[in-house]
Formats: sequence, C-alpha cells, structure tokens
Amino acid sequence: MAKEKKVRERVNWHREFRLAPGYIILTLWVLFTFILLGWVVAASFSTSKEIFSGTVFQFKSGLHLENYAKAWNTSNVSVFFMNSLGYASISCVLLVLICAPAAYVLSRFTFLGNKLIQNGFVAAMGVPATMIVLPLFGLVAGWNILNVSLANRAVLVFLYVGINVPYTTIFLLTFFSNLSRSFEEAAAIDGCPPMKTFWKIMFPMAQPGIITVTIFNFINVWNEYFMSLIFANSDKVKSVAIGLYGMINSMRYTGDYAGMFAAVVIVFLPTFILYIFLSEKIIAGVTGGGVKG
Amino acid sequence: MKKNKTMIVVFLAPAVIMFCIIFLYPIIRTVLMSFFKIEGVTDAMSKWQFSGLANYIKLFNTELFRISMWNIFRIWLFGGIAVMGLALLFAAILTSGIRFKKAFRAIIYMPNVVSAVALATMWLQYVFSPKFGLFKSIGDMLHWEWLSKFQWLDPSHLFTALLVAYCFGMVGYHMLIFASGIERIGTDYFEAATLDGAGRLQQFRYITLPLLKGVTKTNITMWSISSAGFFLWSQLFSMVVSNTQTITPVVYMYQNIFGAGNSMTERNSGIGAAVGVLLSVCVVVIFIVCDRIFKDDDIEF
Repeated sequence: MAKEKKVRERVNWHREFRLAPGYIILTLWVLFTFILLGWVVAASFSTSKEIFSGTVFQFKSGLHLENYAKAWNTSNVSVFFMNSLGYASISCVLLVLICAPAAYVLSRFTFLGNKLIQNGFVAAMGVPATMIVLPLFGLVAGWNILNVSLANRAVLVFLYVGINVPYTTIFLLTFFSNLSRSFEEAAAIDGCPPMKTFWKIMFPMAQPGIITVTIFNFINVWNEYFMSLIFANSDKVKSVAIGLYGMINSMRYTGDYAGMFAAVVIVFLPTFILYIFLSEKIIAGVTGGGVKG
Repeated sequence: MKKNKTMIVVFLAPAVIMFCIIFLYPIIRTVLMSFFKIEGVTDAMSKWQFSGLANYIKLFNTELFRISMWNIFRIWLFGGIAVMGLALLFAAILTSGIRFKKAFRAIIYMPNVVSAVALATMWLQYVFSPKFGLFKSIGDMLHWEWLSKFQWLDPSHLFTALLVAYCFGMVGYHMLIFASGIERIGTDYFEAATLDGAGRLQQFRYITLPLLKGVTKTNITMWSISSAGFFLWSQLFSMVVSNTQTITPVVYMYQNIFGAGNSMTERNSGIGAAVGVLLSVCVVVIFIVCDRIFKDDDIEF
C-alpha cells in the first residue's frame, strides 16, 4: 500500500512498453464492460424502435425520460424498489446488532464451544441454499401466514438476516481480534462493566469494519434471489430481483424494450452507485486487507 | 467471571439461535428427508415413509436430473478453467506495476456488486441479440462472419451463451483473491530472482505460482460453492427457450417442489432434499480433494 502512495514517478517508456500487452488485455475487457453498461443506459433513454435499428447512441428523438416514469409507476418497480430498500436497511441494522456482540465475545473470551461455534459459522458460509430451503419452507408454510403481507415481509427479513449471520459474525470477529485489549483493561480498572465497555468503547471502535460488512450485507440482500423467489408470495412484497424477473417475463409479450432497460437500470443503480463511492472499501473487504481498518 | 458468563450468553444467544434456526435444524432435517418419501413439504414427520436410498436411486434414473448434473459439471469444469485462467492472468497483470491499477481492478470486479438479474438481462437482451447485439456489431465491424452470424440464443448454443455470460461476471471476484495472494509475496523474492537473471515469465512460473497454492484452494472452493447454488442464470436463460440445455440441479429441484411441476411424476419432497444433499456432498468432496492437492508445504512468506 505504501508503495502506491509514493509521488508519481516519471513515465518510464521502456517499462510501460514492456507492460503493453497487459494494458491492452485489461483495456479491452474494461471497454467491453463500459459498452455493455453504456448501451443499456442509452437504450433506457431511447425507444424500442431505435433499439431495433441499432441507433441508441444517436438519440435522434431526444431523451425519453418517460421510459423511467412508465417503469417506475405502471410496472410496479416503485413497489419492488421500496420493498428491497426496506428489507436491506432493516436486515443490515439487525445483522450488526446481532453479530457484533457475538463476534466480540467469540474473539475475546475462551469458553467451551467457542471454536465449535466459529467452525460452524465458517462451514455455514458454504452451505448451498438447497440444503436449507425445504425445512424452512415447510416451517413457514405450516404457520399459514404467507398471505398476510406484513408477516411475509417479516419472514423475508428474518431469512435475509439468518443467511448472513455467519458471514457477518466471522467478518467482524477478525476485526475485533485485531483491536487492542488495552482499552478494555483500562475501562475495567475504571470500573466500567464489560457489557457497557462493549457498547461504549469497542463497538464505536469497530466502526470501519461494521461499515464494510454493512455494505456487503446491503448488496447481498439487494441482490438475493433464490429465497425471495420461494418465500415472497405476492407482488406487494416482492424484492427488486424477483420483480425484475417477472417484468422481463411479461416484456416478451408487450415488446417494450426501452421500458425494460429502464427497469434494469433502476434495479442495478443503487448498488452500482454505492460501488462507485465505496469501491476501495469493498475491494479491501473482499480480500480481507481492509479488516485492519 | 460470573459477569463474563452472563455476558457471553447474552451476546452470543441471538446469533447462535439464528444459526440453529436457519442452518443447523434445516440441514439435519434435509438430510433426514432425503431418506424418506414425503408427500408434501409441510408434512409432519409422522407421515414420512422411510425409503432408504430410493430417492437417490430414482434421481439417478431420471434423465432430466442426469442432464442437470452433467450441465453443472460442465459449468464447474469449463467455466472454472476459463474463469481461473482469466482471473490469474488479470491478477498477474494488475500486480505487474501497471498504472490505473485501482481503476482497472474496480471495473473488473464491478459485475459482482450489481444485481445478477439485471446483468443476465443485459446479456440476454442486448449482447446476444441476433438483431442489434453487441457481439453482432463487433462481428460486423471486424468482418468476422462467424461472430456476427453466431446464433447465441439458439437452443444448441444457449449453454455456451450461458457459460460466457456467467463467467464474465465471476472473473473479477477470483481475480481479487489471486491478486491479494500475489501481493502478499514479498518483493525481495522477485528482486533476488531479477538479480539472478530470471525473466518475468520465469519468475511467474517458479515463484508466484508455487506460492499461490493457498489462494488457489480458496478460489476453487468458492467457485465450487457458487456452482453448487447455480440457479438464477439458468432460470433466466431457460426463459428464452425452455429446453434442457441450461437446466441445473437447483432448477430441477425448484421445478419439482415449487414450480408448476411440468416434469413431475409424483409428489415427493424427499427427492428435492436428496438433490440438496448430493450437491453438498459434491462441495465437501471437492474441498477435501483440494485440501489434499494443495497441501500447504509450510512455505512461510
């Protein structure tokens, strides 16, 4: 990391030339990504006719913002969007409240079963959804509550939280183990009870880790598909991923391509914007390098 | 100490209870279910009829399921080779001291954070489109007939299309893992090698690759886990033409248990459970094999 912060050295053309194949390969890949996204955004502002004639980048008939208005209002995207926003926000808060204390205890105290719980959580991260979905569905369907939309929403949030508990806990665990113990010791000498020490001192200190893991959780819940497909019972409670799937399905009959691409843009925009601002933090979180804050 | 005990219990309880409800209990029940004949998913255990390995035998005698297993195997193997190859190549380029490293890295990883439904739609409706698709435009521009004429969404090519689109999105993640592994190797190794006259490729072959065993293991494990859960892309791609080209085990299970039941001969949730168990066993086996092959030879770096 320190190496990159050095003042930019002068361009060494000999060196850059040797790296040329690398530049070319990466640039082609990145260019492809840009065209892919750029075209979809352009298409969402044009008309289905222009899309079929392959002239989306010319904007001959101007910007068609009404595609967005139509997708937002008539195709229910606003409902799906608000649902997902709600699910993701609530799940993220609950996950931090549930996992941060657990991660702290697991990182700080030795007790019977500590290692077992940690191993269990790590293993759970690799469990395919097919392995857990049937009993969960049986359980929930047995209660007969899925036709009440509030209960259905609660079930979805509960699932989103539950699925992400192992990952969140393990992520925060590594973070807490890197924090120095001297803070707690000082607090203990001053007579601060351990639980209070956690909420007043350790929890705020873990903020960088909590923010990173929350970004991941938000993205995960926003993009979650399998569980939502099975457990979301009505259009009223569907998340964006499922809603978009339904829309694309019906788009085959209406042929409104511009409207469909507008919906696609609306669905990918929130996590995309999040990524533009926080890509460094997210990438550091993936590789564990950012765990040290 | 007494105080700590209450704290441990209070702090751990919510997470552990969630874990038991969402993971522990369902996993145990799914394993049990796979050995029983069960009419409905909600049936109480008293209604289950023990059938031994019958569910598994039936699965392997079902052609559609065999096709789905073959498909997922091809995705795992061919997709895996392509993704790991590209990821390693990109990681090597990124760490070779190029400029704009962070920008390149961020853009290549980007598909991992956007909704996969949106991404798959872009590929299906745009890139592969025979009328205005990106591949057609590129083919036209470079006068590559084979590319502009290639019918990606034909039933016979749909699997290739699926593989290409899926792999495109996955490269970034595995690239990050490889790159972090390469960056952890101390620069002094490379400096020493350069002094001894080793070229870049030689350095890559004899220093980087052997020291990447650990991250390769991580990458293969993660790839296998995401392959085992392969569902969304398959479902979206089979929307174009419903055929068996892109069916995967999870889709098979979904259709049998939750879907309209077009391929269903009898109601039996036990079969669905058996699919889940089989996939999990595959992941575990791959994990163990990887652990054997890529044993950390106590190389400290």
